[in-house]
Amino acid sequence: MSKNNCAVVGVGQTKYQTTRGDVSMAGLVREAAYRALEDAEMSWSDIDAVVIGKAPDFFEGVMMPEIYLAEALGCAGKPILRVHTAGSVGGSTALVATSLIQAGIHERVLTLGFEKQSESNATWALSLPQPFSVSINAGAGGYFSPIIRQYMIESAAPELIGCMVAFKDRQHALRNPYAHLHQHDLTFDQVVEAPMLWEPIRYSETCPSSDGACAMVLGSESVGDASSKPVAWVQGTSMRSEANTFPGRNEVNPRASRECADDVFSQAGITDRRREIDVVEMYVPFSWYEPMWLESLGFAEIGEGWKMVEEGATHIDGGDLPVNCSGGVLSTNPIGASGMIRFAEAALQVRQMAGEHQVDGVQRSLGHAYGGGAQYFAMWILGDTKP
Amino acid sequence: MRDVAIVAAGQRQQAAFTDETEVQILLPIFEQVRNDTGLEQSDIGFTCSGSSDFLAGSAFSFVGTLEGVGAYPPICESHVEMDGAWALYEAWVKLQIGEIDTALVYSYGKSSPGSLRDVLSTQLDPYYLAPLWPDAFALGALQARMMLEQDIVSRDRLTEIAVRSRDHASSSPHAVRKGDATTDFVEASPVIADPLRADDCAAGADGGCVIILAAGDIAKNVCDRPAWIRGIEHRTDAHSLAGRDLLSAQSAALAANAAGVGDDKIDIAELHGPFTHQEHLLETALGITDETIVNPSGGALAGHTMMAAGLMRIAEAATRVSAGAGDRAVAHATSGPWLQQNLVCVMEGD
Amino acid sequence: MTKLESIDYTLEYPYTRSTGPVWGPFLTGLRDGKILGARIGNKIYCPPLEFDPETAAAAEPDLVEVGPGGTVSGWTWVTKPTTKHPFDHPFAFALIVLDGADTAMAHAIDAKTEAAMRTGMRVSAQFRDERVGAVTDVYFVPEADAVDQEIAAGDEPVAITIHSIGVDISEPLSPHRVRFAEGLRNGKIIGQKSPTSGLVYVPGRGYDNMERVRMDESCDVEVADVGTVVAYTTISPIQYHGQTETEPYIRCSILLDGADQPLGGIDIRDMTPEEFRTGMRLKCVWRPPEERDYSDLDNRGGGLTEGVYERWEPTGEPDVDFESIKEHTW
Repeated sequence: MSKNNCAVVGVGQTKYQTTRGDVSMAGLVREAAYRALEDAEMSWSDIDAVVIGKAPDFFEGVMMPEIYLAEALGCAGKPILRVHTAGSVGGSTALVATSLIQAGIHERVLTLGFEKQSESNATWALSLPQPFSVSINAGAGGYFSPIIRQYMIESAAPELIGCMVAFKDRQHALRNPYAHLHQHDLTFDQVVEAPMLWEPIRYSETCPSSDGACAMVLGSESVGDASSKPVAWVQGTSMRSEANTFPGRNEVNPRASRECADDVFSQAGITDRRREIDVVEMYVPFSWYEPMWLESLGFAEIGEGWKMVEEGATHIDGGDLPVNCSGGVLSTNPIGASGMIRFAEAALQVRQMAGEHQVDGVQRSLGHAYGGGAQYFAMWILGDTKP
Repeated sequence: MRDVAIVAAGQRQQAAFTDETEVQILLPIFEQVRNDTGLEQSDIGFTCSGSSDFLAGSAFSFVGTLEGVGAYPPICESHVEMDGAWALYEAWVKLQIGEIDTALVYSYGKSSPGSLRDVLSTQLDPYYLAPLWPDAFALGALQARMMLEQDIVSRDRLTEIAVRSRDHASSSPHAVRKGDATTDFVEASPVIADPLRADDCAAGADGGCVIILAAGDIAKNVCDRPAWIRGIEHRTDAHSLAGRDLLSAQSAALAANAAGVGDDKIDIAELHGPFTHQEHLLETALGITDETIVNPSGGALAGHTMMAAGLMRIAEAATRVSAGAGDRAVAHATSGPWLQQNLVCVMEGD
Repeated sequence: MTKLESIDYTLEYPYTRSTGPVWGPFLTGLRDGKILGARIGNKIYCPPLEFDPETAAAAEPDLVEVGPGGTVSGWTWVTKPTTKHPFDHPFAFALIVLDGADTAMAHAIDAKTEAAMRTGMRVSAQFRDERVGAVTDVYFVPEADAVDQEIAAGDEPVAITIHSIGVDISEPLSPHRVRFAEGLRNGKIIGQKSPTSGLVYVPGRGYDNMERVRMDESCDVEVADVGTVVAYTTISPIQYHGQTETEPYIRCSILLDGADQPLGGIDIRDMTPEEFRTGMRLKCVWRPPEERDYSDLDNRGGGLTEGVYERWEPTGEPDVDFESIKEHTW
């Protein structure tokens, strides 16, 4: 029994914006799927199965929307799976699709994440009665702000590190035509002067609410070999989850995050993480999570992730480990697609197809997503060679 | 295909678990399958669950249930917003890769606090259908009348299926509607949505189901007679009426064919038919003959836990194979209106 | 006294659905008194689709008028309509193949009696007096009952359709939550002590998620109504549907003395962010028993809701050192 190789052979994204009022839900997912098929030089009939992911069905008010979307995604007579693992769902969805190839069950799988948040209001949907934890009653920011404050205290990081991350990601977004926020005239001072929403999180340090979909076509080794374009080979995949509420839980640097990272780097044979990874697409919905995850992922020592931010190590211009060259979640956040976008952008970088936000000479990239109360993790490492 | 088997299965089902949360429903089942196999959560290579936020009435509801499985130290885990049968499929795929040897699958549903018929309306096309709020009974009845009028099935046959369910359910500890297995009793049950009587519609239930999968020698070590999965496939039909034939279960037939249902004699079939006429459609789609005992548990008609009814069918079939009640069994799960999406799992004893 | 027996609520939201290039014109048509189908290949689909349902291939919008007459290909009778249904009296849900269309559309027929219904019957579209650009703008009647209607076309194309979803939920309060609520009624905070680990969870959930054991009444323990702030945030409320907050407020988690798990979601409205801090000691000031409101209690989250206490006031004790509480930051 051996694991089959899997390659990303196509990527498709919609333009992300607050309201994609010009399309239906089916139109939105088809736009991304069609672009992924086009990139992969395939048609609907080439696809063996579809794996779709999105966050809570309350965002659109459609229970299991994949049922209604079956034929819009060319699935009539085919298998379709629907994944939901909170904010990490886009990543987990890609990993489920990958496993279908790795297990030798399918040759070509279309995987897609979407959210049409303009159909309702995300903060409302996340504050429904009977949430998983009362703290989140105040929306996601209300949950994460105390954790961020703890990191700030423990690491003694300068107060404006979060603003630096936010400003950097918004600058990166200007190079990505699909990004939601294109704030051409934004200044660092404006980021700093933005109102506190969930103290210590400023409005400018949070993510927008977006409509959008992101899709990938994954192929087997023979499909990858036959591609006329560069492909990104999956060199490692990992998922971890941990319980949310128990005494002594490390919320700043959850054990599930560390173990997920250890697993995925080990699979890819990586020992010097900062040197061997060329670019990272990291799930950063609140700016401070960039330094926090840099530490948790082992790119920086504990308490020192903020120094990488301060030094500009994560900036696309001159950084040795550019993070979120696409603009990241801080610039684009259709929740159910956000993880998939990280995974897909990691693929584009390896394929040298990221356009204006391409980093030169990328050989290996990390795609990262997390969700729930920082308790669900999904990661993959892609490379320009087979593992 | 790597040899993977169901080595333990447990479930709880009642008309309503009024005093227990989802986690409380599941905890004794987790304990049972661990005792049955001697496997602890730390021995499990992958965990996968199925549930619905809409049913639970809260976003990220499965995050709360993760608290019950023992997710610390952290576990390799995933969740589908589907019946647990598809969670089992995802776990089976992971086992096929060959890097892990065991998986735990669970699903649960508690529809008693809400109105399931309303909830299911939100599953329909949100532009054309859902705003009219056609409920599950109305949609079922519409299909049943078409089948009766076009002689796809007879009224007597529907009654026969309802009687069979009550009869078989009498010996099933998890069934919520059982006994009174007579034609007269069934024919006297009230009309819910003409032509469907109460006994033509699945009895609503709350519950949970847990299954442990294991590969190769491990399966043999933890279970006297594992139920080996010989084929597992799923397919969907189109949703819109433009692409649907309501008089057959095409995607169920496709899945059954791909899973090799017809390759040999089937001793036991557990079919997830929310209505008697749908059970009939499934028998046709799967090519079930008189040689097969259909729904020895009473089937979904005898107790329908939304999001777990499909996984429960797999559990019921596997349990019977393991107990030696049959050598070859097929289990089926469905999702969506009019049997839109279907999964078929073929299992064999040694 | 608020009842403790059950939690009743309705999840409700008016979803705003953007309609796109095909469903928008279809809904615009309904508002303007006509029904449009889509020509895709050699078939006319009604309701129209944006793509070929068999191949998923894209289809350029090519909309043609169909109906208003049609033939019933399947139906069922709804004897007891709910408030969500298109009619407040018995009616039929049916599949209707409109004249000129090749596919069936599911819709409602106002047929007065079930006896009037049969497969193959002829029906005709009727339009509501108030039309909003939704599928409910139209309904059907037996052909003989149809009346001529003068429908004035609207101005703007329909780009958004409103889809209101309401799901009613009524759930009994779990026994452990009832006991928690009864404690609050008596001015006591009841937690549960794990029989395995000895850790005290507040409020108890009826199980220990770490040891994976159920906990019953024998595990109940009282903890203090005094504790330490372990986490907080100051919230500037976002104005969304259903939001009732307008002014910034503090929301914190308090580790009560005797508990191993903080109690989250406590609102502080009489202290400023400048004076509030992690580590400070607070005491619950209860509302008088007859004024306590337990209606926000549910089975999963939730602890001390604002209906129960008036405020939390500083005890005056020195702050607790951050190091000793840092594992409780949530």
